[in-house]
Amino acid sequence: MDLVPSGTLVVRVALAALVLLVGGCAWDGPMSTVVPGSDFARATLWLYALITWITAVIGLLVFVVLLWILVRFRARPEAPLPAQIRGHTLMEIAWTIVPALVLLVIAVPTIQLTFRTQGVAAPRDALRVTVRGWQWWWEFRYPDLDVVTANELHLPVGRAVVLDLEGPDVIHSFWVPRLGGKRDVVPGRHNRIVLTPERPGEHWGQCAEFCGASHANMGLRVIVQASAEFDAWVARQKAAPAEPAGLAAEGKAIFARSACVGCHTIAGVSGGVLGPNLSHFGGRTMLAAGMWPNTPDNVAAWVRDPQRLKPGVKMPDLGLTDEQAKAVAAYLTGLK
Amino acid sequence: MAIPHALRQHELVHAGEGTGVWSWVTTVDHKRIGILYGVTAFAFLVIGGIEALIIRLQLARPHGAVVGAETFNALFTMHGTTMVFLAIMPLNAAFFNYMIPLMIGARDVAFPRLNALSYWILLLGGLFLNASFLVGAPPNGGWFGYANLTTRQFSPGPEIDFWMLSLQILGASSIMAAVNFIVTILNMRAPGMTLMRMPLFVWMSLVVQFLIVLAFPPITVGLIFLMFDRFFGTHFYDVAAGGDLHLWQHLFWIFGHPEVYILILPAFGIVSEVLPTFSRKPLFGGQVMIYSGVLIGFFGFGVWSHHMFAAGMGPVADAFFAISTMLIAIPTGVKIFNWLATMWGGTIRATVPFHYAAGLVALFTIGGLSGVMHASPPVDLQQTDTYFVVAHFHYVLIGGSLFGILAGASYWWPKMTGRLLDERLGRLGFWVLFAGFNLTFFPQHYLGAIGMPRRIYTYAAGTGWGFWNFWSTVGAFGIAFGVFLFAVNALLSLRRGPPAGADPWDGRTLEWRTSSPPPPHDFDEIPPVYSRDSFWREKYGDSRGRKPTPRPAAPDPHGIHMPAPSHWPIVIALGIVVAAVGALTSLALVLIGAAVLVGGSFAFALEHHRNPAHVRQEGGLGVDHRKLAMWVFLGSECFLFGTLIATYMAYKGRSVVGPHPHEILNLPITTLSTFDLLMSSLLMVLALAAVRRGDRFQSRLWLAGTAFFGLIFLGFQAYEFTSFVHEGLTLQTNLFGSTFFVLTGFHGGHVTLGVIWLLTLLGLDLRGRLGTPDAVKVEVAGLYWHFVDVVWIVIFTLVYLIP
Repeated sequence: MDLVPSGTLVVRVALAALVLLVGGCAWDGPMSTVVPGSDFARATLWLYALITWITAVIGLLVFVVLLWILVRFRARPEAPLPAQIRGHTLMEIAWTIVPALVLLVIAVPTIQLTFRTQGVAAPRDALRVTVRGWQWWWEFRYPDLDVVTANELHLPVGRAVVLDLEGPDVIHSFWVPRLGGKRDVVPGRHNRIVLTPERPGEHWGQCAEFCGASHANMGLRVIVQASAEFDAWVARQKAAPAEPAGLAAEGKAIFARSACVGCHTIAGVSGGVLGPNLSHFGGRTMLAAGMWPNTPDNVAAWVRDPQRLKPGVKMPDLGLTDEQAKAVAAYLTGLK
Repeated sequence: MAIPHALRQHELVHAGEGTGVWSWVTTVDHKRIGILYGVTAFAFLVIGGIEALIIRLQLARPHGAVVGAETFNALFTMHGTTMVFLAIMPLNAAFFNYMIPLMIGARDVAFPRLNALSYWILLLGGLFLNASFLVGAPPNGGWFGYANLTTRQFSPGPEIDFWMLSLQILGASSIMAAVNFIVTILNMRAPGMTLMRMPLFVWMSLVVQFLIVLAFPPITVGLIFLMFDRFFGTHFYDVAAGGDLHLWQHLFWIFGHPEVYILILPAFGIVSEVLPTFSRKPLFGGQVMIYSGVLIGFFGFGVWSHHMFAAGMGPVADAFFAISTMLIAIPTGVKIFNWLATMWGGTIRATVPFHYAAGLVALFTIGGLSGVMHASPPVDLQQTDTYFVVAHFHYVLIGGSLFGILAGASYWWPKMTGRLLDERLGRLGFWVLFAGFNLTFFPQHYLGAIGMPRRIYTYAAGTGWGFWNFWSTVGAFGIAFGVFLFAVNALLSLRRGPPAGADPWDGRTLEWRTSSPPPPHDFDEIPPVYSRDSFWREKYGDSRGRKPTPRPAAPDPHGIHMPAPSHWPIVIALGIVVAAVGALTSLALVLIGAAVLVGGSFAFALEHHRNPAHVRQEGGLGVDHRKLAMWVFLGSECFLFGTLIATYMAYKGRSVVGPHPHEILNLPITTLSTFDLLMSSLLMVLALAAVRRGDRFQSRLWLAGTAFFGLIFLGFQAYEFTSFVHEGLTLQTNLFGSTFFVLTGFHGGHVTLGVIWLLTLLGLDLRGRLGTPDAVKVEVAGLYWHFVDVVWIVIFTLVYLIP
């Protein structure tokens, strides 16, 4: 067998590497900062691109000059002492002023956009949402619609939204990259984000300020919908949860007599406020702030042993048997 | 070189020629301390590197299961804290210690024992921090330790205690070392070495020392607040009591951003030595390089809030910090261009140190340019706390700091050991490190751009982050292998490296003028200085080839005197760390530690009197070392009290419950105590004058009087505190109580220290050991005392007089 790789093999490996490289560099991931889904993200991306290109060109220039120097001025044997040049005032002034001018090109749109995205008054018809960052989940309250939900934020496309950020415990940061930049949720301070979603679709988000054990498990989803769909979703949220039957009814009884009620609200059943509102839990796609798909099996595993599944989670072990857990899961996932 | 007559005299008996362990424990030789710093820091670099490798293994795949969430959080906290405070800073300090005296033509630093003390505090503080692993409680709040996550409510265990105590200990070490080096550089330069003739490395080091002295007080105060919150129930970071969580962020980053320059400027200095040497050309635009370094340091204090663009400071603050941050790119760019121009037209010898220096120019350019990207707040909101930023600062701190350190290490290795490193192995190590580094961190720009946040121990497969995380992990092992090759090369060189000779690189600066390794006293004769590249000038002449007329060697008329070794530095450091352990375990241990600290400090201070240092006490600025050191220290104290007072003012009126200041502050009594303290300053002046005159009676009278007035002030304060407690105001009552007691208590602590100092001087005086030549000791104490009085005037005005 030939131990030296043949030419064609080298070409094939190189091609495979190239494919992997290109394949590895998809830019439209669910949390991409370069696929804007709102006016805020779009304006940011424009500036992002401007600065990226400017800095890339400067970087390339430096590298080309550096490489040229390293090749051209490599010492040859018996080379004489080079000219002992100590400086050149004019050149030094030039490479002080030129970068300053380049920075001006970056600075002007930067300042404009900074004021445009932060200073503006929200439009009158904006949808208001209070976002609360808890260790380690998100609460969304729509004060004008009287809707409370968790971890999945529904927004209508094309309508301005004001996100008021409130921190009940430690600092978090609300970030949905495709909708724009992050903003910290600081207890005792009032921060907000104003934006208008421009594309329907599901965008992923994630807490971006380290907030303790399960910081990595503090995801969220934003579901941007056509106006009618959003209204339908609101209507579902406002309706009383469907009365369970069979296993689910058993689950409801277990829920009602367990520690669950101390922290969770289910309309008509309990009024806890320390954990996510579960009134329409079954309508959510993900469980435990974006950790797993919201299936009955996953929910059963979760209520059986939350401490093992999510590090540091505030939800205690409830001491449920497998059967009880299944019943509770059937009840909860049925709350559409 | 011939040994001058002076060397045969008895003074060299203390010059560190011993070889046992004890000789290293008690050494005050700047070169040995430099080696201790280097070895210690390299060990911590390895520890921090292992932490990084575990982090990378965990993230190599989605849903990694190498470690759990809590372990991961501890690993990145310890990785950051270790690399910043225990690896890069002390690696730089190794060069400060070893090289600065050699490069300025001095025989040691200004305060050799203080230098040893800085080192032992660093070592023991670092061990204390890492001991947290042994008890299963490694810090887990991030190296930036954002409050309120770090308060007792959200982090009840000892993890954060380890972190905040260690950082205070390490900060003390850094400030002491910085004061020492400022005095050394300003005061101990060889004759002829004007400021503008100092080598660039010395200049950048000087800027760094000022940054340390001024930037560490704010974080120290922030940590003290955290300590009081955690141990004594104050409310600095308690939102319910009216606390503002931006406070910690400001205090941390007012330190944290200058810290970036503390980490990178020494590397800039090294590169500015290495590139000219191996291009055989002077540094291009040397003066501009100095000014730009100073400017970077200066601007470095005005940009901290660019770390807080997401925190919600409002558009005006965001805009201000965006502009100031962009401005800092200008002097940084000038440095890059001047380095390129230095190499341009040279005859480049591509040695290992040159490889690392040129590598820095390339990699730091990337890190600098990505820094310009986050200077823009809207763009930063998409980048901060993502892997884009992780990539950015590793390009700065590995591509910049570490490459600079490796350039320096391979450049000065022959000088420090007398042996050459293997060039081929060194080049292999460079290329492995260079490739591994870029494979690790360049893809992280991309990962950040597609949304990967920092400090997550796990991620879902659907994010698309898996592929480049895998390769990033592969690259990290390349970095580890590159560092390993460097270590192998170093060990091989120690065993069988060819002898280097005094000047293996055809060097330009004074350190190449003495033997390798240098003798304990560095230079047989203090070298003459003709220009910035003085040694080159001696060898090759100026640009027209004119050599300077050699100045006759002037043997030191008093012989060469080296400082005596001392074991008190390690005793003091032990006392500090024992007290820190006690803070986590038992009060008894705190008291033992404090007793060792106080006893050790007295012994340290009085040792000086028993064994007067023969080292020159005056130099470049014509000011006594101790006086200059006190001025620098007081500059640091200004920032300390400034931060405390600013916090008091910022929190004024934010208390949610009473009692409030106007209900409780007793203006007449405090006016009396203020008058008393002011009068003590007058007595202090009289005491100094009496000591100068040699008037024994008056000097004793006024020294005792000053101390007595200080005691009266403390009595007033004790009365005030007691009456406040009776009226229901304690540290825990409200924000006013917390800020008031901590501010005035700290001032009281300073007065107490001053009284002890004065009484010590009085004791010396009574035993007839405070003659006219010792007046400077009283003068230094007086400077401190007057400063403490002036601070009180500010406190009195802002706290008591303004309603």
